Amino acid sequence: MRKLVMLLLGILMLGGQLLAQTRTVTGKITDENGNPIPNATVLVKGTTAGTSTLEDGTFSLVIPASAKTLVISSVGMATQEISIGNRGLFNISMTKDDKDLQEVVVVGYGTQRKRELTGNVSTVKGAEIANRPVQSFEQALGGRAPGVQITIPSGVLNSPPVFRVRGTNSLSLSSQPLIVIDGIAVYSGETSSTAAAGNALASINPNDIETIDIAKDAAATAIYGSRAANGVVFITTKKGKSGKARVSLDSWAGWNKVQRLPELLDAFQYTEYKNQSLANAGTLNPVTNQFYLTDGPDGKPINTNWYDYVYRTGFSHNNSLNVSGGNESTKYYVSMGYSEQEGIIKRNDFKRISALANLDHKVNKAISLGAKMQYSNEKNLAAVSSGSLGDAFATAGLGRVPMITAPNIAPYNNDGTYNYSGALIGVMNNKVGQAGFNNPVIQLDKNRTNAENNRILANAYIQIKPIRQVTFRSQYSIDYLFVDNEIYYSPISGEGFPGGSATSIYNQNKRWTWTNTLQYDETFGSHTFGLLAGTEQQKSNNKSYGLNRINASDPDFINIQGGWANPNASGLGIGENYLLSYFGRFTYNFDSKYYLTANVRRDGASQLGINNKWGTFWGVSAGWEITRENFWEKAGLDNVFSSFKIRGSYGRVGNIDGLGQYASLSTFGSGLYGGAGTLVFNQAGNPNLGWESSTKLDLGFNFGILNDRINGEVAFYKNDVDDLILGVPTPPSAGIPSNIPTNIGSMYNKGVEFSLNTTPIQKKDFTWNANFNIAFNKNEVTSLAPGVNSILAATGGLESPSITVPGQPVGMLFVTQTAGVDPATGRRIFINKNGQQVFFQHVVPAGSGGFRFSYADGTVAPTVSSADAIVYKNTNPKYYGGFDNTFRYKNFELNTLFTFQGGNYLYWGTYAGLRDQRFWNNSTDVLRAWTKAGDVTDMPKSYFGDNVSNGSSFPLDINVFKGDFIKLRTMTLAYNLPTSLTERAKINSMRFYVAGNNLWIITDYPGPDPEVSSNLTGNLNQGIDRNTVGNARGITVGINVGF
Amino acid sequence: MKRRILYMAVAAGVLQLTACKKEDLEPVPTNVISELSAFDTELRIRGQVNGLYATIKNAGMYGGRYQIFNDIRGGDFQNDRTNVVTGFDVWNYTPSNSSGNSVQALWNRAYYAINLVNVFLEGMENKGTAVVGDAISKNLQGEARFVRALSYYAMLQLYARPYWDGNGSKPGLPLRLTANTGSGNYDLARSTVAEVYAQILEDLNYAEQNLPEAYSKPELNTTRAHKNTAIAFKTRVYLSMQKYGEVITEANKIVSADAPFKASTGIAHQLQANYATLFSNYTTTESILSMPFSDVEAPGTQNQLGYYYGSSAMNGGNGEYSLLSTGIIANTGWKETDARRAFIVTSGSKKYLNKYPRPTPFTDWAPVMRYSEVLLNLAEAITRSTNTVDARALALLNAVRQRSDATTTFTAGDFADAAALADAILTERRIEFLGEGLAGADLTRLGLPLPAKPGVTAIQPTQQEYIWPISSTELLLNKLCEDN
Repeated sequence: MRKLVMLLLGILMLGGQLLAQTRTVTGKITDENGNPIPNATVLVKGTTAGTSTLEDGTFSLVIPASAKTLVISSVGMATQEISIGNRGLFNISMTKDDKDLQEVVVVGYGTQRKRELTGNVSTVKGAEIANRPVQSFEQALGGRAPGVQITIPSGVLNSPPVFRVRGTNSLSLSSQPLIVIDGIAVYSGETSSTAAAGNALASINPNDIETIDIAKDAAATAIYGSRAANGVVFITTKKGKSGKARVSLDSWAGWNKVQRLPELLDAFQYTEYKNQSLANAGTLNPVTNQFYLTDGPDGKPINTNWYDYVYRTGFSHNNSLNVSGGNESTKYYVSMGYSEQEGIIKRNDFKRISALANLDHKVNKAISLGAKMQYSNEKNLAAVSSGSLGDAFATAGLGRVPMITAPNIAPYNNDGTYNYSGALIGVMNNKVGQAGFNNPVIQLDKNRTNAENNRILANAYIQIKPIRQVTFRSQYSIDYLFVDNEIYYSPISGEGFPGGSATSIYNQNKRWTWTNTLQYDETFGSHTFGLLAGTEQQKSNNKSYGLNRINASDPDFINIQGGWANPNASGLGIGENYLLSYFGRFTYNFDSKYYLTANVRRDGASQLGINNKWGTFWGVSAGWEITRENFWEKAGLDNVFSSFKIRGSYGRVGNIDGLGQYASLSTFGSGLYGGAGTLVFNQAGNPNLGWESSTKLDLGFNFGILNDRINGEVAFYKNDVDDLILGVPTPPSAGIPSNIPTNIGSMYNKGVEFSLNTTPIQKKDFTWNANFNIAFNKNEVTSLAPGVNSILAATGGLESPSITVPGQPVGMLFVTQTAGVDPATGRRIFINKNGQQVFFQHVVPAGSGGFRFSYADGTVAPTVSSADAIVYKNTNPKYYGGFDNTFRYKNFELNTLFTFQGGNYLYWGTYAGLRDQRFWNNSTDVLRAWTKAGDVTDMPKSYFGDNVSNGSSFPLDINVFKGDFIKLRTMTLAYNLPTSLTERAKINSMRFYVAGNNLWIITDYPGPDPEVSSNLTGNLNQGIDRNTVGNARGITVGINVGF
Repeated sequence: MKRRILYMAVAAGVLQLTACKKEDLEPVPTNVISELSAFDTELRIRGQVNGLYATIKNAGMYGGRYQIFNDIRGGDFQNDRTNVVTGFDVWNYTPSNSSGNSVQALWNRAYYAINLVNVFLEGMENKGTAVVGDAISKNLQGEARFVRALSYYAMLQLYARPYWDGNGSKPGLPLRLTANTGSGNYDLARSTVAEVYAQILEDLNYAEQNLPEAYSKPELNTTRAHKNTAIAFKTRVYLSMQKYGEVITEANKIVSADAPFKASTGIAHQLQANYATLFSNYTTTESILSMPFSDVEAPGTQNQLGYYYGSSAMNGGNGEYSLLSTGIIANTGWKETDARRAFIVTSGSKKYLNKYPRPTPFTDWAPVMRYSEVLLNLAEAITRSTNTVDARALALLNAVRQRSDATTTFTAGDFADAAALADAILTERRIEFLGEGLAGADLTRLGLPLPAKPGVTAIQPTQQEYIWPISSTELLLNKLCEDN
């Protein structure tokens, strides 16, 4: 690395000696009609020597004798390269560059030119998401495309992002889009069974991605029928191009840290505050119930900042190398990647080795074939639970433990041994039963909970074109994903206490897909037709098994292969599913003016009820390029609009993603009783179970202004989802073992998307590109099951702060209301379900005649609980989007991406814990707790043991906050080595950059990060931040070299 | 041209080929049994009966949590972990409608078991009886109805006002007696306490008539219901209803007139000579019903008796509850030499109960009922119904006491009146069944206050907190169900 830097410095110094002899050239730049083009850039290729044209389009430029080529560029015009030779005068006519509309878009079983597209598809270039400090490509998609919302659920590495296309479109199934890589619907989502997150999509090296096309409306998605309701994301990996081999090396290294952690009481504050709480509760006893400081080895009282023991500065690096090339008949792309990333939580690591080969070969005029082979190995590593993967209340959760554990105890005793007592951390001098849960240092030193993925994605195809109009293609692919889960808990203390435990679960997922399509294309005069017919089968098998062993025979046994007392089966599972499909597409355009597309797909799925296996899905769309009409030109609008296309689509697609393989069946499961086999009714099925259906309407227009210097897109959409599958809950007293899946609910998402891509400045040395997008979305659940007025949803299995009710958006916060703290008595005031104020004191002073719950007049009131909760605030963002700016000055490039969202609320459940009056450490906010009559404060009088007035016992409105934010998601400063230098160094290109991630945030949200999700990709319980580790902030430095 | 035709033919052929896997659309799971065939064989039918017991055992009902909830509603345990998952709110009398690990979990579990019984009874009627024959069918239905009775009884002790309050006229539980397997309208109001008790007794009477007298081995006699099991439970049920005459009638079926007290028919229940035996050998004739555990049938996280009551130094337990220094262990009449004191061990500065000493995964069997309870049920019923210091009641009390403490003999002269003897019997129950799940129900059936504990004020029988609230999920989904 150092050698390389020295070499580059040498090259840079050489640069000063160039440009010895010079001469002058002149000329005029005009458009197709002969009109002069001002401000066009004229540049000597490979140098910084250049100028801009004047108002009359003329220019004059001094060029070095060695100059060979002029590069002429202007906004909206096709860039030209002109050989200089001995010429002195250059009169050049430029042509319109509508490359945006010439771009090819993947549409499923084929491609279409963007200008012919009548569906709604957003395209993100691979370069925009490459070389980012992420584990999977979709983590970098946030803000890049209108209507696409990405929420990375926590600071734990490789947790699958919440990926929403146009809102939340399901309640109980998945709302994540279908992911199609090189034509194959692949496994996505969480794969790990341990406390290390393992996103299946992390097996794709982002640097191997050429484009990402996100299909949003019925027209664009209907070809994927039953799986299209949440949108379809098409990933196209890089392929070789004709020409000599090109080599590209991309490397970056980065550092990241935790941010915005809540401020906690220190040991002195804690000891004093908790003792006061004990005194207030009347249970302070110097011998049996009091907190005390403990002197550490240095003779000073222990004052532990537990954050320091859990978080770290993570170092990551990532390296990709690819070689591509080919000739007329054979093209290849091969790559290897290695990524090693450290998270902000200690011992949370991600390591990936990936290899990809794409090969395409043309046998003769009629036959071509090709193959793809991708292998990847990902190690998802962690020591212990983070409490951020849906396990919000895990007592070992590293997001929570540093906030709970008393600061007046240390991880080590003064003799250097671990501080623990049984499973828990030892209390040291405190005379109380407990001062923390697990000792995180023991957990971080001894435990491990890992998931290692091995994945093979491969396909082969043959394409036969017997006559010009007909293309037959058959593609067979496999997606094999093997996950090796391994958990070890040390017997010393914590989760493994006593005895220790080791668990290994092997999980095998195998899928094959066979696709056959026949495409027919024909043109008669101005009429262009296309017809596609196809079939597809997809079969997926899964199998998992494992052992859980406890009570180690020797402390050195740390895996299941060692000696243990007890072996138990763990993680057993087996299943299969099958999807059989027939589909077709018809496209037509007249004179590139009127466009029409129709898609249809018929799917049969094994997961569904015997009476409802088959469904038919379809989408139709039309477009009208108005600029090609005569009246448009007559009206003079063509002077403003270089393009203007109106389009609309309508159709019906489905969703089954996330449905259990045997969800429609009623079954009896087996266990043991006294060693004898049991048979227990364990699942209530539904033979009529069918698809969730989405009826999607999309109306919009695309436009280009000033030769497409400004281009944009506006789309209005409405997505009516009905037949939503709900596990219809029955009263627990009915005793039905599971909620019966029924097609019953309905909801809609409607909204507007707007995107604008502009080049405000394009000068010789300076250009500014600005891309802005924003989407407004309104979600409303319109009906649930008859008799089901609401669906409660839990967080971490312990509390239910979320409710879904008809007439409101999905996942409303469901909390009990409060009315502050009574200044006279310091009691928490609740509002009960009748709207009455109820005063709460955790401990009723003996002989006071008072009550725990009483009305303002002192009479006894019924207990206030979650039964008094109200449907409170919306968790769905009303708007979200991104603002991407790129400034180029000479060889420097500055890119900033802001993302924003707003109109939503979050439940910061963590804050309930931060005010919990048990032994838990507290936010410094509790220091303003009520102490005497007349105190006006938001923190009630502290009673030790009080877990009611703060929201631990049941969720309260005081822990609900606005989730609006603007983030500087990325900022990248790059330097491209001038061609003159790269040529000397015998390389094609070289680029250095430094990038910041999440550097800056504007928000009123008091928690670490408003963009998290305790319940991961869940729909009904979104918008919850309960003990979640926030996202990291960091910087990376990198280099891209092309040979 | 020929080649083109060939290509087209190949293409058409391949398209055809791909349409032949339709049977894959109806896969059959290989790790569960379809509802359609669950009553097809005797093996499956018997498996379902085992499943009924497993259901009241698992997820913390009679396998541990029911006992713990009743223990910690009494005054003998100290909560040291302030964790609502392990009953902190139950201990300090503040569980709410939404308390997931107590109010909701027990309700869900008991009703799940009840519906399984209903599904089983319906399946037997439709098909199963024909498969196994009438005699076996009646045996098995007796076991099923016994499980249903146990489930309703457990809930009545926690979610409903005691029987004495209005003579059973207060709201009891939704009485579910039909099989629920699919969607439907399940709104159902709570029957009265008396109506639910009536159903419990009907089930137990059926069980008594139809259960076998014994099974083939002690493990089965202590883990599955036989005739005497049903009778023994009736003594508990009638005692809760303060129907002392009926307690006497039932108890006399399995308790001899004089010491040594034992059952003369069916399983020969009697006290074991050594109290300590009961917590190492779970299959003696004193154990009327226990929930079995083993390494491959572990109680599961935070359900295990040993995890709650044992300290880390004793058995690697979590020391959730120590023995309250002012509780029953402070009773001076309970002599230091009493064999039952051997189960109190000191660990650190605290005392813990050591009846469940096995280390993780804490596979001590969970006691549901022992014969000594029948003796004390009978003694109490005699005392309260006759309102005298009855000699047989004294003999029964002495049988229990002297088994563990031969140096103490209660005599009539020790008691000023019947009430004093009744109190002594209650005290004996606290000693004898410490950590076995009787304390809470013993308070409520008699209308005694729930005692004050450090940081917790006493709850009077008239207070709302005297019983648990109804599960908020039930209230939300069952429009006819009302809260307490």
